[in-house]
Amino acid sequence: MKLQGQVALVTGGSRGIGAAVCRRLAADGAAVAINYRSSEGPAKELVREIEAAGGRAITVHGDVADSAAAQEMVRRTVEDLGGLDILVNNAGVAQDALIFNMEMDDWLDVMKVNFGGVFHCTKAVLPHFMSKGAGVIVNVSSVMGERGWVGESNYAASKGAVNAFTRCCAMESARFGIRVNAVLPGFAPTDLVAGLTEGATGRSIKKQIPMRDFGEVEQIADVVRFLSGPESSYMTGSLVNVDGGAMTALGLGRP
Amino acid sequence: MDRNTIIEAVNEAVIDALGAETDEVVPEATLLDDLGAESIDLLDILFRLERSLGIKIQAAELAAYVQGGIPDEEFGDENEIVSAVGLAQLKKVMPQIDTDALTGKLQATQVMGLFTVDNLVGLVEHRAALAAV
Repeated sequence: MKLQGQVALVTGGSRGIGAAVCRRLAADGAAVAINYRSSEGPAKELVREIEAAGGRAITVHGDVADSAAAQEMVRRTVEDLGGLDILVNNAGVAQDALIFNMEMDDWLDVMKVNFGGVFHCTKAVLPHFMSKGAGVIVNVSSVMGERGWVGESNYAASKGAVNAFTRCCAMESARFGIRVNAVLPGFAPTDLVAGLTEGATGRSIKKQIPMRDFGEVEQIADVVRFLSGPESSYMTGSLVNVDGGAMTALGLGRP
Repeated sequence: MDRNTIIEAVNEAVIDALGAETDEVVPEATLLDDLGAESIDLLDILFRLERSLGIKIQAAELAAYVQGGIPDEEFGDENEIVSAVGLAQLKKVMPQIDTDALTGKLQATQVMGLFTVDNLVGLVEHRAALAAV
């Protein structure tokens, strides 16, 4: 229970990787604020589940793309849970299209949530963390931020922005006792990437992953937990791949 | 809050934030020019003071305190050279400056370069007094 007494805010915490992160942090003793935008039901169900397991959790509604909403989320977390120590910027969306067919809103909407959300929530917690001289931020990015994929230029660009922002934010906030790292999941079956991990497409991608398997959301959450806790106390500005070796590949890595 | 407590806290914040040597951090040392502080260092110093003294000073207040609420157009002329009114204000918060020597020469962008460790003590004292009211 190394996170006992700590409070975490997880954006997009009701589903997928975010929900796994909430469970993992709560299991180690953190009180968790589960942010959601549209999935109120799953968010409330997750609170009940965490409470039933002896943990503490609340739901915090709000769209991370909206800076005022991000401020309000942080304010509510601090007020209702008595502080804030860990921010997990997990909320993300995808809107795949070929660049040839892509309209301005296709990339702007993705950027507003994926990068804007990280920016707004980070900015909202900074005064609080800086006053304490302590705090941890974990950004859930993607291997796509470092590589290409047909149809995901907007998503990849937004995650590339998150990766660059993670490094700069780590640099600016280190002296205030704040650590900022990112996890870069590879393929983990969630609603966001369901089209890539199911059926024949899924089988074809799986063959290209050195570990020959998709990541479980719990395996991503384990790394988020590590980066949130005292075990990673000397790490900041790191982009940690959690991808079964997918990022090692040069093309398909074979003829 | 007594002056010695503030001096001690300011010295510690400046030394820690800038990684400066103890003997460099003298009252007359200017934060930016002599000690090489950058904007992030000033922010760091202010947050260290908030933690050690419980006095919250926003970075924007630093410039506002120095300018004393005088509007930009009165503080400097069209070439952004600090006016006589501006210099009189600066003398209040930075008593060490030689206003005669600076008349007609001091650019607004150079003002913060004159701000010393002792002037920061003055600002913190000013804020502590406000907080005590």
